[in-house]
Amino acid sequence: MNDVLLGMRLARERLRGFTPSFVFALSALGAYVFAVIERQGEAGSAADSALEGGVFGLLLPVLAYLLSERVCAASRLDRAVDPLARYGSDRRQALLGVFVVSALCTALVGGVLAAIALFGARAVSDSGFAADLRASVAIGIGVGASYALFFGAASLFGKRGGGRKWALILDFVLGAGSSLFAAPFPRGHARNLLGGAPVLELSQGGAGVALALIGFLCVALSLIRTPS
Amino acid sequence: MSTLRFDSVSHDELARMSAVFESGAHVVLGTERDGTNGIVQLAAGIAAPRAGRVTLDDQAPHDRAVVRRRVSALCVEERLPEARTVAAAFALALSARGDTRSPQSVLDQAGLSSFATRRSATLSARELRALALAFALSHERPLLLALFEPLSALDLLAEEFVLASLSNAVNAGAIVLATANRLEDAARLGGVIGVIERGVWLGAALPELLEVALRVRTPEPRRLAARLAETPDVLAVEWGGGSELVVRGSTLESIAAKVVESARAEAIRIEALRCEAPSLDALAAERAGLAQAAYERARLDAPNKNQNQIPIFTNGRTLQ
Repeated sequence: MNDVLLGMRLARERLRGFTPSFVFALSALGAYVFAVIERQGEAGSAADSALEGGVFGLLLPVLAYLLSERVCAASRLDRAVDPLARYGSDRRQALLGVFVVSALCTALVGGVLAAIALFGARAVSDSGFAADLRASVAIGIGVGASYALFFGAASLFGKRGGGRKWALILDFVLGAGSSLFAAPFPRGHARNLLGGAPVLELSQGGAGVALALIGFLCVALSLIRTPS
Repeated sequence: MSTLRFDSVSHDELARMSAVFESGAHVVLGTERDGTNGIVQLAAGIAAPRAGRVTLDDQAPHDRAVVRRRVSALCVEERLPEARTVAAAFALALSARGDTRSPQSVLDQAGLSSFATRRSATLSARELRALALAFALSHERPLLLALFEPLSALDLLAEEFVLASLSNAVNAGAIVLATANRLEDAARLGGVIGVIERGVWLGAALPELLEVALRVRTPEPRRLAARLAETPDVLAVEWGGGSELVVRGSTLESIAAKVVESARAEAIRIEALRCEAPSLDALAAERAGLAQAAYERARLDAPNKNQNQIPIFTNGRTLQ
């Protein structure tokens, strides 16, 4: 347990500084501006466009990727905890701590971006705004956490965690479809939860389960591939 | 009794290194390019070997957190765990080690308490190495201390503190494996000296120099030089006009004995005897000779193998 906390402290320390806050603020501004533009174009579908295209289609995956890169100190996931492991920390436990911080932060980013986009795309006085806000924030939190674990596990591949980059590219390319190839990527399931085309005809509940399964498998894979 | 074992280990510069280090002091003579930093990283479990196996008491340090907890290391380049200040970084490292002492007490012990509030980001590479060495030496029950050139970090740490800490660790039954790139440092560190040359482990053998020199200070250098010139074990005697002679021979013990013998015979007073450090060129030539011998030995040990399978190591790379 001690090593999990140490991993969390390490990850938190890596997320300190001006850059992460600045990038997040810029992204939030971008999400809001994009949503407002959509609303001015076609108010009826502005929320869907802003969430599906802007937040979950572009900003959240890219931010999750950058955040994963940051908590891994731009290295492989198993090497990211070396500063603690060399003194005796269990790599697996420390890695779990890194995952926890990474997932919490990305979930928070997802939830906040979803809320901001909705505020830009719709008027607060609109009927059903509160319910949509709750649903969007919940989806943002779930998808954000799933992306964090997905990029974390991808960081196990490549000399310096280059698998992370490939995961981002493949998520953009394959995740955009609805076939079996899209199933291992969070993008298609996020789209399903937002009311878009489902992957493998899964229901929205199924998409939520799929996201949870992706996260679970990513954590399991990371723990299996990392020595103590 | 602890045992650190390298079994046919290949990693970066290291080429099929097999060696065993038991409790006590050991010095690996060689440079970073010879693979000394690799030895430290592998022994401490910081890196996993590309091929072969490294074990400390039959457990791989890289794969076993419980083993790493009892290992301290100093590498060629050091960095502290990410934290704002040195004290915070030490607190993280101490927690990882399962050590309940405060960072301040560890820094105080090494005379580095002024660093406690320094921001980690402002530390120079030299300061980081000194802090890492202080942290490594602070271990209360180490199984292994693996240190890359610990005597090169002495500008911030006192030599007495470093040598005393190493001595304490040896007395407590730990393996102290230090590296040095100078014979003088190896002698100060003490213990069994082994040599590594361009990634090839040459074993626990100090290179024997073809020629050693002894400086002799005496009020009558001319008479002593004349007497020594007739002595068979003495290869050469140099006198530069002062009160000092440089006597050259094959072994230090034999020429020292001849100098004393000659001085007694001629009733000449000797004021001082001092061994002259060998030149780096001479040392390099000897180490190259040992490397060649190891290669030849490997060829003879594998008579049935295809010659093409025997690697030739140069600059730490396998050519063939």
